[in-house]
Amino acid sequence: MDLAKVLEAEDSLVEEDLVVSTVPLVELKEVSKTYRLGTVTVEALKGVSITINEGEYVAIIGPSGSGKSTLMHLIGCLDSPSGGDYILASESVAELADDKLADIRNRRIGFIFQQFNLLAPMSALRNVELPLMYAGVDRKERRERATIALERVGLGSRANHKPTELSGGQQQRVAIARALVVNPSLLLADEPTGNLDSVAAREVLEIFEELHKSGRTIIVITHDDEVARHADRIIHIRDGKLQEAS
Amino acid sequence: MTWRLTFASAFEAVQWHKLRSLLTMVGILIGITAVMITVGIGEGAQATVAKQIESLGSNLLSVTPGSSSSTSGVRGGLGSATTLSMQDANALANPNVAPAISEVAPIFGGSETLSNGTTTWTTSIEGSTPSWLSVRARSIEAGRFITNQDVQSNAPVIVLGALTAQELFGGSNPVGQTIDVKSTPMTVIGVLTPIGSGSSAQANQDDLGIVPVSTAQLYFSKASSGSSLQGILVKAKSSTDLSAAYQEINHELLMLHQISSPANADFTVTAEQSIVSAATSVSTTLTYLLGSVAAISLLVGGIGVMNIMLVSVSERTREIGLRKALGATRVDIRRQFLIEAAILGLSGGVIGVALGELGQRMLPRVIGYAISIPAFATIGSMVVAITIGLGFGVYPAARAARLSPLDALRSE
Repeated sequence: MDLAKVLEAEDSLVEEDLVVSTVPLVELKEVSKTYRLGTVTVEALKGVSITINEGEYVAIIGPSGSGKSTLMHLIGCLDSPSGGDYILASESVAELADDKLADIRNRRIGFIFQQFNLLAPMSALRNVELPLMYAGVDRKERRERATIALERVGLGSRANHKPTELSGGQQQRVAIARALVVNPSLLLADEPTGNLDSVAAREVLEIFEELHKSGRTIIVITHDDEVARHADRIIHIRDGKLQEAS
Repeated sequence: MTWRLTFASAFEAVQWHKLRSLLTMVGILIGITAVMITVGIGEGAQATVAKQIESLGSNLLSVTPGSSSSTSGVRGGLGSATTLSMQDANALANPNVAPAISEVAPIFGGSETLSNGTTTWTTSIEGSTPSWLSVRARSIEAGRFITNQDVQSNAPVIVLGALTAQELFGGSNPVGQTIDVKSTPMTVIGVLTPIGSGSSAQANQDDLGIVPVSTAQLYFSKASSGSSLQGILVKAKSSTDLSAAYQEINHELLMLHQISSPANADFTVTAEQSIVSAATSVSTTLTYLLGSVAAISLLVGGIGVMNIMLVSVSERTREIGLRKALGATRVDIRRQFLIEAAILGLSGGVIGVALGELGQRMLPRVIGYAISIPAFATIGSMVVAITIGLGFGVYPAARAARLSPLDALRSE
């Protein structure tokens, strides 16, 4: 995979400005999720159906306890649904085994967390390389791709800094680079601006905007209307059910 | 993830937590060093005991007249029978007859009174041949030992033990002096180098007199036993030749005595090797005892590894979750933690072995005898150290691998 070429292709797409296709990437069909907490059964999701096409920028918004985190975990293949089906990139992943899911996460999904989740002792570059290590990419290509990804988020000059030497906004940009580096089908961000000041938050949202324009599919989970406003489509969730409004 | 990368990640993780890793290693290294030193001390003590007994002649077999078996028939008791002769001794000394035997010393003698003027001293006198010196692993301090010439000519000469010489002559030089032995004047031709008394059960090995066997037979024969020998000391070529020598003696003497069944033998062969075995088994027991105490400390070290690894797993829940979210499989995680544990075990092992080797050099100056750590203990320690790391790392690693990426990411 020649990333430079891919990026070039993406840049040319930017000029066309409209890239939303009608090819479904994420298809949730009557998905439910129940947890058992001791004797109490909690129904976090009650038959949720969503279709998100390639190239869409979607915000999933809801108050805490609405089931949006559960939804994010299911979309991110971090957890399996109790009922219904989930088709990601034409592949049913609802019943896949643990290790198969690890592979799907590695290839298909780029995670961006509220807490950044960078490994403190590693440089920014090494952090970005991490998913490529699990993908079995060799050292030289890892370095190249990680460097390109860092440059993409404007941190080319900070490659050798450790997370503690970077500001919160910069750390989140490293995390975005880490999410991008495997060239995933889907960027999945969970409260990406929750730990950032307004300036850094705006920077991150601008990067999302650019990535969207270059054809990336982005799903942002948030409780913040301001963040959701940047998306093309907003999905409201409350009490484990959808209340979609565009 | 490839093995190489997993190794690199594990190694990195060990480095990230330097102090913790170091403390874990210390547990292992103390155990390893303790095992090595105790085994070394045990082996050293065994070697020392074996050497001391060797100096008494561990290749030694002694043939005594009479039988220890209880078959019927008239036979003299052990040691008092009159069945061994010089002919027997000469036959055993023949290398064609008994190739596993290197030296043969006949013994004929008894307790006699020695006098130098008015000073008298009673001690055991052994009549023998020049072979006595090497069979008994003794040496001459002054003068000379008896020669074949002396034996052939029934020469009235005597070699004294250091203590005997001291008792008879005080400080003055006994060599060349004449003493009376059972009223027969004999010339003192030499004095044995003292070796100190043997164990309390044995007679003082520095208090004796050696005369040519022929001289002893000539002057000290008793009416009851005539000139028959009290025993024949046989030295095998080496300790591994002992059993061959034993068989050669039995075969040859049975033939000479015209006895067809070994059960009717009129002599008894005993090995002094059995003393060695007894002594070594004591120190072996001691080694096992000390070794097991050390092994327990190694076990404690292993539990230390487990403890630290468990702490590490719960402390790194977030990291594990992140790795899983980014695509790490259970195997990747399990492997990394196992390798981390193995690295801790191995480094502890390597340092422990190094300290053990150091102890091997330094300790003898304190405790006064050599420590010999056998190669198997060194290699074994390393293997044990890795095994402990891996063994006690299995559970924490399995726990890490089982973590759901969700739990991991949720934990604060």
